[in-house]
Amino acid sequence: MSRFFTTGSDSESESSASGDETAPKAAGGPYSKPLLLSEDEEDTKRVVRSARDKRYEELTNLIRSIRNAMKIRDVSRCLEEFELLGRAWAKAKGVVDREGVPRFYLRILADLEDYLNELWEDKEGKKKMNKNNAKALSSLRQKLRKYNRDYEGQIAAYRQNPEQSDEDEEKSRRDSEGSGSSSGAEDDAGNFLKRRERDEPRSRYKESESEPESESDEDWGDSASESDSESDEDDGKFTSLASKFLKKDEERRGAERRREEKAKKKLERKSRREEEEEEEEGGEWEKVKGGVPLIKEKPKMFAKGTEITVGLVMKKLNEILQARGKKGTDRAAQIELLQHLVAVAHEHQLGVPLELKIKFNIVASLYDYNPNLAAYMKAELWQRCLGCIEELLELLFAHPEIFVGENVLEESENLSNPEQPFRVRGCVLTLVERMDEEFTKIMQNTDPHSQEYVEHLKDEARVCGIIGRLQRYLQAKGSPEELCRVYLLRVLHTYYKFDYAAARRRQVRPRPQVSPGPQVSPGPQVSPGPQVSPDPQEKEKEDEEKEKQEEEEEEEDSEALMERLCRFVYAKDRTDRIRTCAILCHIYHHALHSRWYRARDLMLMSHLQDNIQHADPPVQILYNRTMVQLGICAFRQGLIKDAHNALLDIQSSGRAKELLGQGLLLRSLQERNAEQEKVEKRRQVPFHMHVNLELLECVYLVAAMLLEIPYMAAHEFDARRRMISKQFHHQLRVGERQPLLGPPESMREHVVAASKAMKTGDWRRCHRFVVNEKMNGKVWDLFPEADQVRAMLVRKIQEESLRTYLFTYSSVYDSISMETLAAMFELDLPTVHGIISKMIINEELMASLDQPTATVMMHRTEPTATQNLALQLAEKLGNLVENNERVLDQRQGAYGGYFRDQKDGGYRKGDGYLRRGGFRQERGNY
Amino acid sequence: MASRKEGSGAAGGGFGSAKGKGKAAAAGDSAVKQVQIDGLVVLKIIKHYQEEGQGNEVVQGVLLGLVVDDRLEITNCFPFPQHTEDDADFDEVQYQMEMMRSLRHVNIDHLHVGWYQSTYYGSFVTRALLDSQFSYQHAIEESVVLIYDPIKTAQGSLSLKAYRLTPKLMEVCKEKDFSPEALKKANIAYENMFEEVPIVIKNSYLINVMLWELEKKSAVADRHELLSLASSNHLGKSLQLLMDRVDEMSQDIVKYNTYLRNVSKQQQQKHQQRRQQENIQRQSRGEPPLPEEDINKLFKPPQPPPRMESLLIAGQINTYCQNIKEFNAQNLGKLFMAQALQDYNN
Repeated sequence: MSRFFTTGSDSESESSASGDETAPKAAGGPYSKPLLLSEDEEDTKRVVRSARDKRYEELTNLIRSIRNAMKIRDVSRCLEEFELLGRAWAKAKGVVDREGVPRFYLRILADLEDYLNELWEDKEGKKKMNKNNAKALSSLRQKLRKYNRDYEGQIAAYRQNPEQSDEDEEKSRRDSEGSGSSSGAEDDAGNFLKRRERDEPRSRYKESESEPESESDEDWGDSASESDSESDEDDGKFTSLASKFLKKDEERRGAERRREEKAKKKLERKSRREEEEEEEEGGEWEKVKGGVPLIKEKPKMFAKGTEITVGLVMKKLNEILQARGKKGTDRAAQIELLQHLVAVAHEHQLGVPLELKIKFNIVASLYDYNPNLAAYMKAELWQRCLGCIEELLELLFAHPEIFVGENVLEESENLSNPEQPFRVRGCVLTLVERMDEEFTKIMQNTDPHSQEYVEHLKDEARVCGIIGRLQRYLQAKGSPEELCRVYLLRVLHTYYKFDYAAARRRQVRPRPQVSPGPQVSPGPQVSPGPQVSPDPQEKEKEDEEKEKQEEEEEEEDSEALMERLCRFVYAKDRTDRIRTCAILCHIYHHALHSRWYRARDLMLMSHLQDNIQHADPPVQILYNRTMVQLGICAFRQGLIKDAHNALLDIQSSGRAKELLGQGLLLRSLQERNAEQEKVEKRRQVPFHMHVNLELLECVYLVAAMLLEIPYMAAHEFDARRRMISKQFHHQLRVGERQPLLGPPESMREHVVAASKAMKTGDWRRCHRFVVNEKMNGKVWDLFPEADQVRAMLVRKIQEESLRTYLFTYSSVYDSISMETLAAMFELDLPTVHGIISKMIINEELMASLDQPTATVMMHRTEPTATQNLALQLAEKLGNLVENNERVLDQRQGAYGGYFRDQKDGGYRKGDGYLRRGGFRQERGNY
Repeated sequence: MASRKEGSGAAGGGFGSAKGKGKAAAAGDSAVKQVQIDGLVVLKIIKHYQEEGQGNEVVQGVLLGLVVDDRLEITNCFPFPQHTEDDADFDEVQYQMEMMRSLRHVNIDHLHVGWYQSTYYGSFVTRALLDSQFSYQHAIEESVVLIYDPIKTAQGSLSLKAYRLTPKLMEVCKEKDFSPEALKKANIAYENMFEEVPIVIKNSYLINVMLWELEKKSAVADRHELLSLASSNHLGKSLQLLMDRVDEMSQDIVKYNTYLRNVSKQQQQKHQQRRQQENIQRQSRGEPPLPEEDINKLFKPPQPPPRMESLLIAGQINTYCQNIKEFNAQNLGKLFMAQALQDYNN
């Protein structure tokens, strides 16, 4: 359908353009209202079209396109159309049963058969055919053969009448509508041509342009003049002369009905048509719009002079709505009609409730515009949709007395009776939720690096505004459930944004000495610089500002807002999902603003970690995002271990991108089919909400480095040493495999280089690798409080380097002065003292402190490397011997079982174990 | 200590002082009692490794020469090209044949008498070596494999050893039966898998004269690597390798153990069944006893694990141990020497 639709609309716009040249009125497109009106008036009278008419038209349309396809030898196309034809035919069954098989149908069957046979025989041509066509040819041939078997007799009969069919053929080709023109006589052919024209007064005539070139202008001239006298209900009458006569009456009736309007319209149409024909001769072949005319032809517009009442408008509205969702409904036109209806309603002051009602429907049909769930709204429609919803909300605010609800029954609606409270069916909340989804979809489908994306992102403020207003509206009238939903919407639009205003306030108050980053410019307007920064969060800035202003009206920063909204949701929500989402968003928001303990406590209290795997994928993605944010928050606070633990799950899988809903992995592309991919695509988080993956990985790797390097140094000779972070080790190995080690380029290389420096206790180099210009640009500057983070990092690096140094080189020293250490690592003495004491207490370092001289005395208890190896070897040999003993046991056990009875064997086994026990003891002593 | 002296003698005294190395273990029943290597061959092997081998990669090549009585004279050799993935279709046999044909044109001994291989910390007792040496010895009875240890050589003493498979092992390999029983029957243990053939390095007199000449001129300082006291690295690596083998050995034993347990389990079942049958027979006397083979057919005896691997591992462990022992002995000597020197200086 969509294919037809698009081509159709194309041609419409084209023709409307051409029409404009001659006469402004002539614009035949569905968007020109004046013309629409006049023609619609006429059309309303012709609403009554027999079912037969409709069906036949459908068939003829299909037949025409089959012929077109035949002409261009597009067999696969033929096959498609033929299948459609078969379906249409089945639909028309009822009519056919009454009327008999129409000739035109037989003709296409026969022709198609001939055509296929001809193709089939033509070996040369078949070889040249492309694969698709060849395949289609054979399958079509088979299908047709099967199909024709049912009509064998009739086709045979038809074949015996060759002259007749020849004529038909010619005609049918000329006949743009491909109406059931199996007439036996020339005049009949002319006949139906006319009829067609009338039939499609506005939208349809265009189709006639798709006729083959053979069509001549004079033809049209004649036929147009003749057409008046003909009615359109005679489609199939030509099948037999008798029936033709029968129909005459009807024709006459129809003709009378129409005569009045005919005259003026005909002239206009004729001239237009001729022109357009010239232009479009040999143009596209497929402008078929099966069955469409219905809507367009009977748009609501009321006859002039009719008194427009609520009832009338409602009727119209229902009429329009009935077409909704049907195949072949022109959705664009439908929206247009509805808007027009609103205008009419407004003009005649039929009351706000009615306008509300229609507006609800407009928004609904805007959503319907895309039949495909995956497709997203076009910008223009989106703007209209936003506008509509805003108007709707305005109306609602202006008229708080109107009761709106989705549970209002159709019958109990009260649109006009001013005595009773107005009741209108419809749910703003649902519309807004849907709008939000559409917004997400638009963002998902826009290239995030284009200007377009920024443009779209500007709408975020509007979306937020709408949600805010809806929230206010519902706060006054809505139920707790509805409130929960709208709060969640609000929360979802708030949680990922960094509250710069609040941060600024906080910074100005307690510690003014912190050098302000780019974001702390004192003016109310933030300089445009940070907006271009790669951090998605920063991109939000602009919208953020507006949001802020709005919030400042409310006198609360986003923290309080989140707190208020989420608390309400926790208390009132009865669906688990909304609460889960709210909690996660709340945690995320806390984490984003470095309120680590509150975020962590909330996460632990919610017990989400235990049951998140039962949630649906979008919630899981949200959970992952939250965990990641939590980890980054912990890192900023200097809680390296917590940061590492929070990030471990996401990072260790190597699928962070996928888990965060920020992109699909190429690797698994082959494993999923197109359908799955679509589903996954729909889950993606829009770009402006992304968590920077490089930042994430860097934070993880640095955290892993700070944990792993001292650990590795401490357990260098431990055979049972475990890796803390596999990924970090992987990066180290990759670094080692490099044949030539240049200066680090990427973030990973930096971390690897830093790790190597740290291994030797060289904290200055390590620091230089972790914090430098490149890394600042890539990672550290993305934090809101970059300087604090860097300061934290330096300190951590110093501390961990000191520990690593002590682990690695303690065997070299007899004693070492703490002052020296403090100078080496630029730490103050108490810190060094603290670190060393902790190491001694944890038995990581075999040493004691000499207080008066402030030195560390090493106890030489650590075995050397070779000794360590020897110990390991001894252990392994022990194992080996043990295993060997077991073999011996087996021998004895087996023999025991063989030669003695069970009991004896058992005893012997026991003996064996005893001996081994003895050996163990021996080893222990040694 | 003795072996160290020999080693240093070989390197220090130049190639002219051809001395046999190692004990002529079980060379008695072998076709070759002595291997005489031309100095050229030694240099070529060393050069080959120097240029192409690195780390634990091994280099291999073909030895050419001829057999004189019970002495195998190796007069020339040529290297195999290093294997890489992209020349999988490289035909070794053809390469060898062509190489030998070409060498014959320049009047070089073209009799194929074995092959050489470098080794990494003495880890050469592997299945691959066994297989190829077997096929060599199967085709050319006198062939030997020369094992060149570059690391030991770098420490100052040339390490070159010639090995042959013992006739017993040849028998076993021919049978291709590595089950525990077969090995037991053949009376094969890790000690008598390979036999070491004593090596003599032979140079022309002119070369010998020149070497003497050179030795007189060279200062002691040039050969200081002999006296290096740093030992932990080498020792550590050897221990590491030894440990790996021990681990493998352990696993192998566990495997064997499971096998034994399975066997005994089955035997027990068989035993029970047999007894049951006997009971039945006893109960209904006079009836013909059921054939017992059924049970054997019903329960397939578990596949015995091949024991060759563990033999090889044991052999390898033995080699490592020898190496470590030798190395430690040398080092101890050096340490004592250093101590004495220090005492003297003080």
